[in-house]
This record gives sequence, C-alpha cells and structure tokens, in this order.
Amino acid sequence: MNIHRKLITGAAALALGLGVGFSPALADNIVFWINSPLASSPDAPIYAELKAFEAETGHTVELQPVAHMEMERNLTVAMSGGAGPDVMALDIAWVAGLANAGLLMDLTEQTAPLAEGYQKGPLASGRFEQRQYALPLYTNNVALFVNNKMLADAGIDKAPTNWEEFREAAIAMTNAEKGTYGLTFGGSRTGAFQLYSFIWQNGGEVIDDEGKVRVGEPESVEAVEFLSSLYTEHKAMPDSVLTANSWDEVNAPFIQERAGMLVSGDWAIAALKNGNPNLDWSVHPLPVGKQAATVIGGYNLAVNANTSVGDASWQLVEWLTGPRSVELMGKYNRLSAAAGAAAPEAIAALPEEIKPFMEQADAGRARPVVAEWSQIHSEVFGTVWDSVLRGQPVADVMSKADAQTKSIMGQ
Amino acid sequence: MTKTRAPAGPKLRNTWSQIFETGMGARVYPYLMVLPAVLVVVGVVVYPVISGIMTAFYDVTLRTLNTGTAQFVGFRNFERVFADPVFVLASTNTLIWVVLNVVAQLGLGLALALLLHRAMPGIGFFRSGILVPWVVPSVVAVLTWRWMYDPSVGIANEILLKLGILDRNHPWLGDTATSLYAVTVESIWKGTPFVMLLLLAALQMVPRSILEAASMDGASGWRKLWYVILPQIRVSFAIAAVLTFILTVNNFNAIWLMTEGGPLNSSEILFTLAYKYGFQRFDLGKASAVATMLFVGLVIATTVYLKLIQAKEGD
Repeated sequence: MNIHRKLITGAAALALGLGVGFSPALADNIVFWINSPLASSPDAPIYAELKAFEAETGHTVELQPVAHMEMERNLTVAMSGGAGPDVMALDIAWVAGLANAGLLMDLTEQTAPLAEGYQKGPLASGRFEQRQYALPLYTNNVALFVNNKMLADAGIDKAPTNWEEFREAAIAMTNAEKGTYGLTFGGSRTGAFQLYSFIWQNGGEVIDDEGKVRVGEPESVEAVEFLSSLYTEHKAMPDSVLTANSWDEVNAPFIQERAGMLVSGDWAIAALKNGNPNLDWSVHPLPVGKQAATVIGGYNLAVNANTSVGDASWQLVEWLTGPRSVELMGKYNRLSAAAGAAAPEAIAALPEEIKPFMEQADAGRARPVVAEWSQIHSEVFGTVWDSVLRGQPVADVMSKADAQTKSIMGQ
Repeated sequence: MTKTRAPAGPKLRNTWSQIFETGMGARVYPYLMVLPAVLVVVGVVVYPVISGIMTAFYDVTLRTLNTGTAQFVGFRNFERVFADPVFVLASTNTLIWVVLNVVAQLGLGLALALLLHRAMPGIGFFRSGILVPWVVPSVVAVLTWRWMYDPSVGIANEILLKLGILDRNHPWLGDTATSLYAVTVESIWKGTPFVMLLLLAALQMVPRSILEAASMDGASGWRKLWYVILPQIRVSFAIAAVLTFILTVNNFNAIWLMTEGGPLNSSEILFTLAYKYGFQRFDLGKASAVATMLFVGLVIATTVYLKLIQAKEGD
C-alpha cells in the first residue's frame, strides 16, 4: 500500500467515525458550587451521582461546597466580576435577585418541554418575570417537631393541630422553675422565615401575586401578635429567641430538652439525631390557622450567564434535577422536587419523619419572587420580629414594615 | 616640556550596567530599584483606595455593575447615607466603641505591662499566657464568647447569678441596651495583649539608672510612673494608641460574628453598616460613601494625634 492510498484510507476511516458518532463528544469541565450539607464528606451521595454523570457524558465536574450563609454573597460577588461557577445551587429565595441582575442564564427554552417532570410549586420558584432561570433540586417546607415526652408530661395526648392547641401546648410545657419552654424559635432573619407560614395561615399576605405590598393588613398583624405573645406574654419561648440567628441555635433548646416544640424543616432531622440520639420526638404538619399554609424552601440549580460551557452546564442541571433526583435526594432524607416524588408510592417509601412534610406539601407557599426579597426578608422582617419580641406594639411595627417594604419595592 | 602619556592598559570591555554609573543613568538608578515596590504598592493600596473613593460618586448597584451602566451621581450616595437613620446610630456607636476600646486597651495594656515588667519566678509563663487571647483566632474567640453570653447556659450569667449581681439570666447580646457593651468586652479582652506587648517592650528599654535616681530622690510609685516611665515610653504609647484606634475602627469580626450589628442595629458600627450596604443590599455606591467617610476620618484623626505627639516632643 503506498502512502497516498494510506492517507486516503485513514481520512475515510476518520470521516466514517465522525459520521456515525464514534468519536467522543468534546468534554468540558464544569465548576459546580453546591450548598455544603450536600457534600459534607467524601462519601456524600452527590459524588457518586457526579461520577455517573461524568461517565455518561464525558464531561468532568469540579464540585465546590459553599456554606448556605455565604453562598448568596459569594455568588453575587464572584459572578458580578465575571467569574464564579458554571452551575450553582441556589436557595429558592435568591433566584429573583440574581436573575434580575442578569447573572443567571435564561433556561426557558430548554425547560419548557420538561415542565411536567417537576412539582409545580418548586418549579415556579425558579421563574422570574415569566422566564425560567433555575430548576428545583429539592424542596422542603416547615413542620412541627414535638418532644413526645415533654408533651405527655404536660398532660397532652396528641400534637397540636390548630393555633389554640398550639398555644395551649406551648404554655403547658413551660415551667420557669425547671427552665423548660414550650417552643424554641429563631430571632431576626431566622425567626422571620418561621413567621411567614403563620401570616399566610391567618389569611394574611406579604406581597401578593400582583406585587401589592400587604404587610400592614390586620391578618398579618394578628399572626405576628399570636406568635410574639408566646414570648412576650406567656414566656413560652426561651431567651435564645432574641439571639438565635442560626438553625443550630434554634435547635439547641429542643435538643437539650429545654423546649418541647420546634418549627423547622427537614434539615433539622439530622441535627436532632446527631445532637441527641436518645431524644423522643416526632414530626407533624404545622398547626392550622384559618387555613393550612407552610413556607416552601429548598434549593434550585441554575447556570451562570457568563459560563463558557453552557451546554454541558445545562446537561448537568437536567441530570441532577430529573427523575434521578428522587433516589439521590432520598439518600439525604430530603424531598426531591421531581413530579415522581409526589406519587403515592414514593411518599409511602419515605421515612416516617419525612412523611408529614410531604403530606402538607399542597399547602406550600413560596416566598414572594421579587428581586428585592433578600433585603425585605433580612432588613424588614428580621427587624419586625426583633422589634415585637422586645415589646414594641405589633400594629406600629407592621405599619412601619409595610411602608419600608413599599419603599424598597419602589411603590 | 614634554608631555608623557600614561601607558595604555588593557582595554576594559563595556557592560550595559555602566550606563547607571554616571550622568543621568546614575540619577535614575535608585528610582529604578524602588520601581517594582512602588508598582506593587500602587496596585494593591493606592488603586483600590482611589477606586473605592470614585465608586462613592457613582450609582453602583448589582445591576449597573453587571451591565456596566453605572452613572456619575455626585454626592447623591452621601445624601442617601445621611438620610438613613441607622447611619446616625452607627456613627454614635462607632464613637462609643472606639473610645471604650482604646481607653480600656491602653489602660489595661499598660497595667499588665507594668505588672509583667518584674523579675520574678515564672514570669515567662505569665508573659506567654497573657498573650493567649491575642493568639486565638478571632472566630474561635467570638464563638467562645457567644456561648459565654448565652442567655440560658452561658457562664457569664452563671457567675453573675452566683455573685448575686443578677437575679435572673440576662440576654447580653439580645438586649439592645447591652449588646454593644457585651461585644466591647470581648474586643478589649482580645486586643489588650497586643498593647501590653508593645508597652512591655518599651518598658524594657527604660534605663534602670533613671528609675533608681527617681527612687533615691524619694519619688513615689505613681510619680515615677507619671514623670519618669510614661515620658520614656511615650513614642511606643502613641504608636499603640494609633494602632489600637485603627484596629478598633476596623474590627469587623467581633461585631459581625457576635451580633451582625443587631439587635435592631444597637451594635451597628460604620464598618458593619458599610458591609451591609455593600454585600447585603449590593448598593456599592452607598457602601463606598460610608467607607470613604471612614477613611477620611481615620486619616484625619491619626494625623492630628501624631502631630500632637510630635508637637509635645518638640516642646
């Protein structure tokens, strides 16, 4: 075979290979920032999942865990400077702000055919001004954790199901001499997060679907009054409510059996099990006011608007949030936001302590999807809760908060 | 008369470095040597300061930053800062915070330095031990103090209850009346050893003969301190004062990690306020306005203080 013929044969083989797709796709490296609890150790399930993704697509993924409290600021600073990750996990409350700043890739076209595969509430949390910027990785809401022993010792035989029972149980479990309290609650921002469910349960609103600020309406005022009176009037919350700015601090009195109830999400489960393995506790749907409501939380996955590996990044988002997320999130004792996770058989397979969250999922309400939400949450509602705990008149505080929210919203 | 020429020796080869040995080259040479250092200082100190000051005059928010549409707004950011009631509170708190920290750290630092400037068995152990708060990482120190102040299980309440000073636990960090002072105690605890170290080094330079002469003249302990020791260590004292002042104004960690400026802005200082404007609201123009005011304030206060010290020294 002469050289000329060899060249022709080689070129033909290459062309054939390319034509039938034998050649591997071009591999990209994807930098992925994830909230640290999902990558807390080298054997965390996310690593195996990413290996499967790499094997399937040929791309490589560089996983970088970031603490929840630092994620929003770090993302904003990094991406504003044209850097940051290609794919990122976002608390659902941050999507609007980052999308409004033009930092997230518009995924509307790619996600449109996949919408049926996700639960509606969590999917909507990735939408801003009719465009989809993120897909839900997992969802959660807040429920009521009860110390069974303390409840029984207080002479109550079942967990509270409405506000009146909730208040009675909180007061009954409070004993100043023993230093026990009915309910542990967060201060400032953390307490504000716990507050929203009660405002909605009472028929109140923060910002309605039309964007109207309704913070100062009587229903909202009444709900804040109900909760704050558990501390200011009934002394049924420990003083830690004044300073507890992290979930660890909120959980501590419950773990130490100094508080009989805790309003929290599924992220508390691991903390309670680790903190006090002998604690006898159970989870129940949040006590209902005029209507059932619970604040939706969770994390979405989004793509950096300035990424150079957009296609590969989208592939990763689709992979992690798709049907495989049911099993993946199950390994973390978390609720996948895929539609399949809401199927009866999927719910039946959940651990007992997770079921109440799924049972009340229909009552889930997302926080307002407005660009200014982080500021409203921290500065307005954090201040509302701090103020009423310190005895300021609730109506005045809420009226001021209403004006402040309108000012932030430019209304 | 005949002129004789020196015999021509072997001709030296010209090297490029010879151009720095005479004339213009020799004059430029020292500047060339310091040029790399100057460039580094300009890059990491001068440019960021000027850039920060410039930002204070532009409408820089997250959106304008990303789209590159920040507009010049003159003093608008400063007007917005002055219109914020929290700014007034933060300014007052900054003043309280700085005065308490500087006075207490200098006072305690001097007292400790005098105490440890003695020859006694095990003095090395005590000198090392007293430095522990300064050596402990800020985050560890702050978290430890947070637990000590815990309203339910904190040791601070426990001790005060046992001593009969309190009759019930007090939320030190949760009470708007005490939060700033509670953080100040931690800051004083952390910063005092550094002052002590500076003053102890200065005390060891005071000639023993002067102190002996003062003693022979019948000077009491206080008079020796006031008329002999303090004048001898005044330069170190001035340096310690300026450094403590600057470090206190810039002590972000203590306040942020203990209270985040709360509750209800009761422990807010200008630094934490600038951080909130910048990294919670992402209003970088407003944050830069506060930072610029802080910068100018620090420069003026430090310059005035050092000038006063120099003037006193001249007298």
